[in-house]
Amino acid sequence: VRVAEVDSIRTNANRYRWELILLGLIGLAVLWATRLSPYYLETAQLLNSSRTFVFTGIMALGLMTVILTGEMDLSLPSILAVCTVLLAKASAAAVPLPIAVAGIFAVAICLGALNGFLVAKLRLPALAVTLGTMGAYRGLAFIIGSEVGYTGFDDTYKYLGAKLMGEAEVPFMLPVFCVVVLLFVVVLHFTVFGRRLYAIGNNAPAVSYSGISVVRTKVFAYVLAAMTAALGAWIFIGQYGSARGDNANGVILAVLTSVVLGGVDINGGKGTVFGVVVSILFLWTLRNGMGLANIAGPIQQLIIGALLILSVLVSNFALSIRIRAKQ
Amino acid sequence: MNAAGMKTASRGQDLRLSIAANVSRNTLRLRVVSVFLSFIAVALVFAFTTQNFFSFQNIKIIAFNAALLTIVACAEAMVVLTRNLDVSVGSIIGLAGYVAAKFAAAYPASGVLIILVAISIGLAMGLINGLAVAYGRVPSIVATLGTLSIFRGITYIMGHGIEVPSGDLPKWMIKGADATVFGIPFIVLLAVCLVLVLSFLLRNVPLFRRVYAVGSNPAAAIFYGLRANRVVLFAYAICGALVGFAAFLYVSRVGTITVNLGRDWEMTALAAVVLGGVSTTGGSGNLLGVLFGALILSSIDNGLVLARAPEFWRMFIQGTAIVAAIAMDAGIERRIQKMFRHK
Repeated sequence: VRVAEVDSIRTNANRYRWELILLGLIGLAVLWATRLSPYYLETAQLLNSSRTFVFTGIMALGLMTVILTGEMDLSLPSILAVCTVLLAKASAAAVPLPIAVAGIFAVAICLGALNGFLVAKLRLPALAVTLGTMGAYRGLAFIIGSEVGYTGFDDTYKYLGAKLMGEAEVPFMLPVFCVVVLLFVVVLHFTVFGRRLYAIGNNAPAVSYSGISVVRTKVFAYVLAAMTAALGAWIFIGQYGSARGDNANGVILAVLTSVVLGGVDINGGKGTVFGVVVSILFLWTLRNGMGLANIAGPIQQLIIGALLILSVLVSNFALSIRIRAKQ
Repeated sequence: MNAAGMKTASRGQDLRLSIAANVSRNTLRLRVVSVFLSFIAVALVFAFTTQNFFSFQNIKIIAFNAALLTIVACAEAMVVLTRNLDVSVGSIIGLAGYVAAKFAAAYPASGVLIILVAISIGLAMGLINGLAVAYGRVPSIVATLGTLSIFRGITYIMGHGIEVPSGDLPKWMIKGADATVFGIPFIVLLAVCLVLVLSFLLRNVPLFRRVYAVGSNPAAAIFYGLRANRVVLFAYAICGALVGFAAFLYVSRVGTITVNLGRDWEMTALAAVVLGGVSTTGGSGNLLGVLFGALILSSIDNGLVLARAPEFWRMFIQGTAIVAAIAMDAGIERRIQKMFRHK
C-alpha cells in the first residue's frame, strides 16, 4: 500500500516543479555571473562557452536512457575515448569521413551491446559491471591509440566540432545538439520504445509479464547510450583537435550530475528530457560563471560533486515530507 | 501412515537442505581456492616470460604493494559486503595522506599523533559517506562519486599546489616503511594481521556479523530488528578509518606527496575486492579472497613492468578481470539458489 501511495504522490505532484526550480536557479546563476564579469552576457562569450556543454550534454541524454530503465552506465566516457582514438587512426590512414564515422558508430554499438548483454541478459549488477567496462574500454582506447596524442586531424573530421557559422560565429555543434535533443524528446516521450523504458524502470516484472522483452529494451537503451558517446567523440575531436586514450576521463561526474540534477530518478522510471536539458544549461551557466571568477578546476569539480549529492538529498527530503503530510 | 509419510518427506527435505548448505559452503570455499590458483597461474606466467620475477627483491616489492592494496581493499570490502560501493577511497587516501604529511612536516616530533590524524580524517570522510548513503538515502554510487570530487577538491584547496617532499617527514616514518621483522616487511605482517583480525571479527562478533546480514537481505535484516542504517554507517566508518591508516602508510613510502595522492585507487581496490570473490550484491565473500585478489593485481602490475608492457594494459586487464569475476560469482550464486529452491 505504501509503495502505491508513494507512487501516487509522485505522479500527482506538480510534474514540472523541479524543472521550474532549475530555471529559477539558472536565473540566479546568470545574475551571479553578470555581477562577476560585464563580459558574461556578450553573445560571443555565450556562444563560445556553449561549446563546453555539448558533448557531455549529448552523453547525458544517452545515460538518461539507461537510468530510466533503472540501470547505470559508467563506461560512456571510455567509449568516447575508444571512438576518438579510432577516428585518429582513420584520419591518419586517410579514410573518408563517412566510413570512419560509420566505423566508430559500429564499434560503439558493439561496446554498448556488450554492456547491455552483461547487465540485461546475464543479469549482472550494472554498477559494478560498467565500472569494470569503464576500465577495460579505457584501457582499450590506450591500447589502440598508445599514449601518444594525435593532432593531425583532417579538416573534414573536425568540421562537426570546430565549424563556426556565419557572422555571429555560431558553433555548428549547437544546432546539432538541438537536433539530438529533439530526437530524444521524440524517442523517449512519443515512441513505444520510450514508454517501455519508463515502464521497465517502474516495474520490470510487470513489463515482462505483459509480454515485452525487458532484455531487448535494456540492450537497446545501452546501445543508444553508446551511440551518444560515439557522436560525442566526433564532436570532441573537432572541439579539441586532438585524440588520446585519456579523452573525457572523469567526465562521468558531470554527465551523471546533469542527469540526476535534471530530476531523473536514479532508480529509474521517472524524468523528462526537458529536465535534463535545463540542468545541462544550469551546469553550463554555473561553470561559465566559475570560469569567469577564476575558480580552479578541482574546486569546480568539488562544487559539481556537492550539487550531485544535494540534488538527490533534496528530492529525497521533499518526498519524505510529502509522504508525512499525506499520513 | 500419512503423518509418517510426511515425517520422512520433511526429513528428506532437511537432508536435501543440509546437503545444499554444505555444497554451497564448499563452493564458496572453492571460490577462494580458485582465486589462489589464478594467483599461482599469473605468477607462473610471469616467471617464464620475464626475468627476475621470482628474485627475492622483486617478491619483496610485490608483497609491499599487495600489502598496501590489501588494507584499502579490506576497507572497500566492508562497504561492498553491505551491498554498497565506495568509489571515494582514492580521494580519502589523498586527503588523509596529504594532511597527515603536512602535519608531520610541521610537527615532526608529534609521533603517533600523525597516525591518529590520518585515521581520524579517514574516519570523518567515511562518516560523511555513510551518513549520505544510510540516512540521506543517496544511492552509494551517486554519494561517493560526489565525495570523490569533493574530497579531492578539499585536498586541492588545502594544498595550494604545494608538494610535501618525503625529506620533510620525520625519520621514523621513512624508516618504518622499510622496517622488517625476521626479513618480512613490517607492512606485510600488518596487512596479514588485519585480514586475520577482521575475518575473525566478521565471523564472531555480532556487530560485524550484521554487516553480512544487512548486505545479504536488507529488508529481512530490518524485519529482524537490525538497524540497517547504523550498520551501513558503521561499515563506511570502518572503511574510512582503515583507508586513513593506509594513507599514512602510503605517505611514508612515496617520494613526494602531491594533492594527486591516491588517484584511481578506488578502481584497483574494487578490482581486488571483486576478484577476491566478494559479491557486489552484498552479504557474501571473505577477506582471505581479497588478500589473494590484491596479490594477483600487484603481481600483474609488477609483471607488466618487468615485461616492459605499457602501463595502460593494466587498466584493460583490471577492468576485464572485474567483469569476469562478477560474471563468475553471479553464476555460482544462481547455482546455489537453484539448490535451495523448493520443488
